[in-house]
Amino acid sequence: MIQRQTPAPPRAGSGVGLERDDDIARTLKSELLHINMGPQHPSTHGVLRLFITTDGEIVSSAIPYIGYLHRCAEKIAEGNTYHQYVIYTDRMDYLAAMNCNWTYCLAVEALLRAGGMKVEIPEYAEYVRVIIGELNRIASHLIAFGTYGLDLGAMTPFFHALREREVILNIFEQVCGARLMYSYYDVGGVKWDIPDEALEDIKRFCAMFERKLDEYNTLLSENTIFIERAANVGVIDAQTALAFGCTGPVLRAAGVDWDVRRHEPYSIYDRFDWKVCLGRGEKGTLGDCWDRYMVRMREMEQSWRIIVQAVDKLPARGEVMAALPKNLKAPVGELYFRAENPKGELGFYIISDGGAVPFRCKTRSPAFHNLHVLERVAPGLMISDLVATVGSLDLVLGEIDR
Amino acid sequence: MQHVHEIFDTVRSVMKGMRITFKYLGKRPVTQQYPQERWALPDRYRGFVHNDVPRCTACLLCAKVCPVDCIYIVTEGKGKDRLMTRFAIDYNKCIWCSLCTEPCPTNCITMSHDYDHALYFREKLVYEFVDEPVVPYREPKKGKAAEGEEA
Amino acid sequence: MDWLLAHFSTLPLLGGLPYSAQAGLAMGVYGAVVLVIVALAVMVFSLAERKVAGFMQSRYGPMYVGGWHGILQPLADGIKFLLKEDIAPAAADKLLWRAAPIAVFTGAFMGYAVIPWGPSFVGAKLDMGLFYAFATSSLVVMGIIMAGWGSNNKWSLYGAMRGAAQVISYEIPLGLAVLPVIMGAGTLNMGSIVQRQAGFLWNWNVFNPLFAISFVLYFVSAMAEVNRIPFDLPESESELVAGYHTEYTGMKFAFMMLGEYADMFLVATIATAVFLGGWWTGIPRVDHFVPAPVIFTVKAVALVFIMMWLRWTLPRLRVDQLMHLCWKIFIPIALGNLLLYGLIRSVI
Repeated sequence: MIQRQTPAPPRAGSGVGLERDDDIARTLKSELLHINMGPQHPSTHGVLRLFITTDGEIVSSAIPYIGYLHRCAEKIAEGNTYHQYVIYTDRMDYLAAMNCNWTYCLAVEALLRAGGMKVEIPEYAEYVRVIIGELNRIASHLIAFGTYGLDLGAMTPFFHALREREVILNIFEQVCGARLMYSYYDVGGVKWDIPDEALEDIKRFCAMFERKLDEYNTLLSENTIFIERAANVGVIDAQTALAFGCTGPVLRAAGVDWDVRRHEPYSIYDRFDWKVCLGRGEKGTLGDCWDRYMVRMREMEQSWRIIVQAVDKLPARGEVMAALPKNLKAPVGELYFRAENPKGELGFYIISDGGAVPFRCKTRSPAFHNLHVLERVAPGLMISDLVATVGSLDLVLGEIDR
Repeated sequence: MQHVHEIFDTVRSVMKGMRITFKYLGKRPVTQQYPQERWALPDRYRGFVHNDVPRCTACLLCAKVCPVDCIYIVTEGKGKDRLMTRFAIDYNKCIWCSLCTEPCPTNCITMSHDYDHALYFREKLVYEFVDEPVVPYREPKKGKAAEGEEA
Repeated sequence: MDWLLAHFSTLPLLGGLPYSAQAGLAMGVYGAVVLVIVALAVMVFSLAERKVAGFMQSRYGPMYVGGWHGILQPLADGIKFLLKEDIAPAAADKLLWRAAPIAVFTGAFMGYAVIPWGPSFVGAKLDMGLFYAFATSSLVVMGIIMAGWGSNNKWSLYGAMRGAAQVISYEIPLGLAVLPVIMGAGTLNMGSIVQRQAGFLWNWNVFNPLFAISFVLYFVSAMAEVNRIPFDLPESESELVAGYHTEYTGMKFAFMMLGEYADMFLVATIATAVFLGGWWTGIPRVDHFVPAPVIFTVKAVALVFIMMWLRWTLPRLRVDQLMHLCWKIFIPIALGNLLLYGLIRSVI
């Protein structure tokens, strides 16, 4: 590789960087090439900046630089009441805003309960939470599926995925009036019920979705070129995944049987019949990109199963909010609560000093931890593989930077 | 032999994918031609926040609950002489969370179904709802409602 | 062109001119006509590609310009390209930077000289027409390398390197794939190759089992040669931003695109002539009624459609997989095919 430094680049073709010598083989000076991949790059999923060092096509190191989307969400939490901060959790993982809302509300509810307050979430609201949360998980995984196709050069799956996501967004729009920033969950329940038309739409979506899932698998997952590109690439084994604190599909793809919904059941997940999807290493090594991708595809199916069951069991429309004091003040105490988001484990560590606002609200975001395994995996990958690996981690920068 | 098998596998998977894309080639697209076609917004749609001034009690609850402090309410005087001189919403800051609509005692602040307010200047996105000072609405009495107008 | 030349000699004014002037004039006229036709075809393709992509993805594609289904969108694009600011990177190698789009464009268009649109509608009845077409179309890779190096952009350089490796590698299976056909026809003259496929449908080369393998090899290699998905590594947008034309704007970019689409059409026309029976319909009686260029174009456009179809279905290969496919699968198959055909020919 002919030397091309970032500061004062030599005039291309002027021969700078080539030193004449008798031995041709020795004159071809080989140096590593430093490239900034991002923050404006088509496949870094937002404003992630990867500082990559490459030897030809082979990446020798990739260092993620983050913070381009930092909005001081944790500091804002200290100035907002528990109800008000719910809307800020929308802006964390904007592809799964419902789940972020939900986790935060669950954390606050757990904090209230730990302080001796009685928080009884109505049965109806619990079911609504599960239905909507799982719908959003599907929506988030659809984007992950679509953009992964995009990363590997297949455009069509992305639009097909968006088409189905649009159906979910329409349901959300009927339920809460927004298409991206829902603020639908609230401490103590949900804000509104599910209207009848929306329930019909959910049923229609369930009837149609499994067929579409098959279609996605035929179009992309089982395509030989796709398998060639994704299998055996960017292998994250169980040990590495655990060491880096990876969660969600990234951890499960490595074969670690860990899903908060199953192993620390919150809400009413223990009432449904569903499976934790693990990577099986069918097409290559356990924990490769294809496994991570496939875990998401299978999770969509499981979410679909949960929704079908929850819609069946949905109790008659009733109260949607628990009886809570209007001026909500959490008792003194601190608590960490985690829940399974589409991207992995989202956790909130809330310290309350008894006031209307939390003293501190730390967020443990899944994509942040999932991203950092990249530094370990990247060396030795090709540039195309790096793109495939970054895509398979399903990063959302809004959540990484908060 | 394995190579031949792989080649056939590849061709088959490519064919399968092509069948799906071809199927959609003949299907009707699902997109809408936006400015001409628009879908009916659901009842709960959260568009621009609207305040119905004649019913506003100037209680400041909405301004207090707003997480981004985008509602500006200015009142003068006390008791019976209390006048609302300003009720403005800064849509630059508004995040359409609908928290302001919840505590409103008279339900005068609502989420409208407007969503396309394109303007050339940011300053114009601060909507003033009160032109001249008005007497805030009071529950029991009627008739004192001043001429409120909409922006 | 012969037809044009024959006409010129009968005209009162032109007939008086010396033969070389007449020939030059005919060449110019033919060149202009083909240039316009191909440019129009490219415009149609640019719209067609977006429409195909759109409908395959459950959307419409361009809808506004020109009233019905964005029919004038290519025109609007052209105007937009003309009006765009022409930005050059400060550290670009200006000469290479400017020459690259011309090289891409010229390389793509030169091949059209030997394409037999009809029995007499040929630019040059070169005896080594096929060889000429391959030779000139590989000029495109020069443009790609010049663009990548001249832009002084790391992503462009990557694109150029990939392009060089890819196009040069795939020229080998491309050439080897057509060799059996040339052996069968005994000529490199494309018009003669088409003439030999006259008659019924099964006379087409593609319906000969060995030539069918050749056709598949040729078609896939040609897609790699013109950088289409699944082989669009030089410009792979999700990896290299836009590859070798990352830094190009305005008309220069338009020329790059024009060159690419023209190249795509060129390989489709070559495939039509060599494998799909050129201007023959496959039913001898019908041949008299339908003008030859129309049939030829329809076949070529069908091939272009298949390329588009594949593009909107498949993901992209990785560099090493691309090379693997070329050197370890295509070239052995092509060589084996060649050997087999040679053996059969020598036995029969």
